Amino acid sequence: MISQQLNDTITRIGPKTEAGAVLRCYWHPAALVEELESQLPIPVNLLGERLALVLDDAGDLRLVTRISAIGEPAVFYPDSTEIKIEVTGPTYPVMVKKGIAFAYLGNGEAPEFPNFDCFRADDTHVFAFKGLWECNWLQALEIGIDPAHASFLHRFLKDDDQGSNYGKQFRDKVAQTSMPMTQVLREYPRPDINVEETDYGLKITALRHMDNGQTHVRITNQIFPEAICIPMSREMTITQWHVPIDDENCYWFTLFTSFKEPVNKELMRAQRLKEHKLPTYAPLKNRENSYGYNPQEQADETYTGMGMDINVHDQWAVEGMGRIQNRTREHLGRSDKAIIRYRRILRQAIDAMGAGNRNALPMQNGEKIKTIIGPLSNDAVAPTENWSGASHQADLERRAACPWDASV
Amino acid sequence: MTQQTPIPAEEFIDAPTGWVRILDREALEIARPLIPVVLNGQRLVLFRDEEGELGLIGRNCPHRGADLCYGRLENNGLRCPFHGWHFDRTGQCVEQPAEPKGSPMYKAIKVPMTPVEERDDGIWAFLKDGDTT
Repeated sequence: MISQQLNDTITRIGPKTEAGAVLRCYWHPAALVEELESQLPIPVNLLGERLALVLDDAGDLRLVTRISAIGEPAVFYPDSTEIKIEVTGPTYPVMVKKGIAFAYLGNGEAPEFPNFDCFRADDTHVFAFKGLWECNWLQALEIGIDPAHASFLHRFLKDDDQGSNYGKQFRDKVAQTSMPMTQVLREYPRPDINVEETDYGLKITALRHMDNGQTHVRITNQIFPEAICIPMSREMTITQWHVPIDDENCYWFTLFTSFKEPVNKELMRAQRLKEHKLPTYAPLKNRENSYGYNPQEQADETYTGMGMDINVHDQWAVEGMGRIQNRTREHLGRSDKAIIRYRRILRQAIDAMGAGNRNALPMQNGEKIKTIIGPLSNDAVAPTENWSGASHQADLERRAACPWDASV
Repeated sequence: MTQQTPIPAEEFIDAPTGWVRILDREALEIARPLIPVVLNGQRLVLFRDEEGELGLIGRNCPHRGADLCYGRLENNGLRCPFHGWHFDRTGQCVEQPAEPKGSPMYKAIKVPMTPVEERDDGIWAFLKDGDTT
């Protein structure tokens, strides 16, 4: 449990807030490149600011301030002909990386991009998409750094065959075994969780010690301030930002990165367009239709009764907390180790900004940022007494066989 | 997505402190006996357990606030789908399957409970003031 005051401090990100000042030190996804195919300007609501993406006189993309009506909804997508620019308002630089237009809303010089796999991979090996969640960004991030929830929220009571699972999370077989990932998650629900601070945020190791003397090692990452990098299948990783639209809404932006075959973008896009409505990328399953909840399915097939798409499960979990989770009533356990650690880093960053010490924040140290690689993000199985080298070894093997330069 | 929701609409009741009839008994005679209710602004969930007894407890899981309306009605109680925390009809947590084996943490966790009774003419609850949460 934390105080209401602290909850406000760590969740609210408008222009004059403390957490907002921290987030404004970083590049944030503002739009998908596929959105730019429509007539510019397009609206972008980001960090509590009403903006629009335009081409400036030099032909570069730029975010400018948009005039919005009082009471305009937070998720609002006016047609380009209806967008009015506030010519004296703040404007911000934009940089396109792998299907996402990133924006920098901070003061001074924008930081370098780290050399993460999702940015290094060939364009053919990265696919970008986004989706709306109607809640505060922090609870959206926190579910992504909670390795235990997958054993419950995403539990499938039956294991699917692995045939039609391209581009889906947790539907692969576990490396070096014939066991479906769904079975490992279901049968070993109490992972030991190790959390280490890194130069980019947190490295989170979830260990599931299995009955056969083997340990399942899942490594995921928190990338400061609002992203995660996690394995999706043996072939792909997910790098996902939880970008605030305002205090009560956020978008997830994901870069799916393949270490093997080029990504089948057409299939990945079609799978996701079936679940979302354009132009807001609002999910078709939502609070209003109870996320498609079916009690019979909950009894027989899935833990939630909300279908096989794990994004819907996550969306339900975080939206059901309320627009901003009331952390004055929470009771964190051992499974929340990484969340506790993350909040500590965020508070340290807030304090550092208050003291005028931006360089103390993760990935704000100039030239060194470009040397940050990875992060290692995978599932591996190893003998329990020797688990620690296993994921490193599996990662090196995957990198060695990767068609783009994934060397570390 | 025109699917009918199998979760009944929230019932809103405002009344002075004391015992109040909140629902017909028939209201819970449904395949999954669980109804969200809002009593004096407090969001609660009413359910019937496997012993046939009623529970009326806070709607958000005391762990990280997930919505217990979508809980799994099983093992004579209500289980949160987020991390499997299991609550009996008094709101007492009885199991935390993601916590380390042997952890006693669950004993200290209780969802706020509102007294509820089934009488001949309906389901009655003991309402507190709206600001008593």
